[in-house]
Amino acid sequence: MSKDPFKTRLEIAKDKISKKNLYNKKDNPSSIGTAFKLSTELVSAVAVGTIIGFIFDKTFGTKPWFILIFFFVGVVAGITNVIRSAKNMQK
Amino acid sequence: MAANPMTQFNVYRIGPEIKLGAFDISFTNASLFMIISSLAILIIFNIGSKKNSLLPNKIQLLAELSYTFVSKMISDTAGLKAKPYFAFIFSLFMFVLFCNMFGMIPYTFTVTSHIIVTFVLAAFIFIGVTIVGFAKHGFGYLKLFVPSGVPAVLLPLIVVIEVISYLSRPVSLSVRLFANMMAGHTMMKVFGGFVISLGIVGGWLPLSFSVALTGLEILVAFLQAYVFAILTCIYLNDALNLHH
Repeated sequence: MSKDPFKTRLEIAKDKISKKNLYNKKDNPSSIGTAFKLSTELVSAVAVGTIIGFIFDKTFGTKPWFILIFFFVGVVAGITNVIRSAKNMQK
Repeated sequence: MAANPMTQFNVYRIGPEIKLGAFDISFTNASLFMIISSLAILIIFNIGSKKNSLLPNKIQLLAELSYTFVSKMISDTAGLKAKPYFAFIFSLFMFVLFCNMFGMIPYTFTVTSHIIVTFVLAAFIFIGVTIVGFAKHGFGYLKLFVPSGVPAVLLPLIVVIEVISYLSRPVSLSVRLFANMMAGHTMMKVFGGFVISLGIVGGWLPLSFSVALTGLEILVAFLQAYVFAILTCIYLNDALNLHH
């Protein structure tokens, strides 16, 4: 006796889940996540770019050049990162 | 009471020294707290899933709530295709959350306040996501580095920029968690030191700050675990649904 109302409720819940999973991006709680993303995204790309430039300089012996180039490429990559995640936030 | 606010991050050996070749693999306080948090997760979820009553008790409620929380997070950010990776993301989220939360108990050690711990986690995610991407799309996964509609002249520059931004993912993931945990714990220790040095007359103001900071730190501990897990979902989404 007591199981029947539970079963109907289970079916209603399952129905709701299947409707919800139709990939709606509107009400996701990830906006805090993307907000935290922005700050470190910029810095880390610069750091990675500089490290790559440093490694290239070490191996090829062209002391200041690659580190300079890759530093600025890293800055550009950081800015694209930030713009991309900002666009994702607006979706 | 140590005056230096950074002494709380010291790693020291517990028990005998164990050497494996050139590596020192002795049991430290960091390993102790990793084991404690993993054991706590295992115990809570074992008890929580043992008895499936319709009216859940508190532990079962905790287990079920965290299950639905992570499950909803994955389906919201990475879609239905990411369901097979649920177990990985769930254990990752729980491990980071429990490490952060155990660090909030006084006289404990915060495992996630060390960059090597968070970087190993992030590098593991990075390598795993890259493998998943190549396994699903073959060499088509390299299209991630070539955005559509770019003139051929700019292409070499754009590819370099994209590769750097892809490589910066594990760095930003690990640095965020580590920096938040370390900064918060250092700040709490500094305010605690103010209480001692100002004594009973002026110590009340930093004490109240300390109380407020503890609440903030608990929020940050949860939020950073959440951010860590959700960024894993986002990277997984990029690897599973390739669109550019």
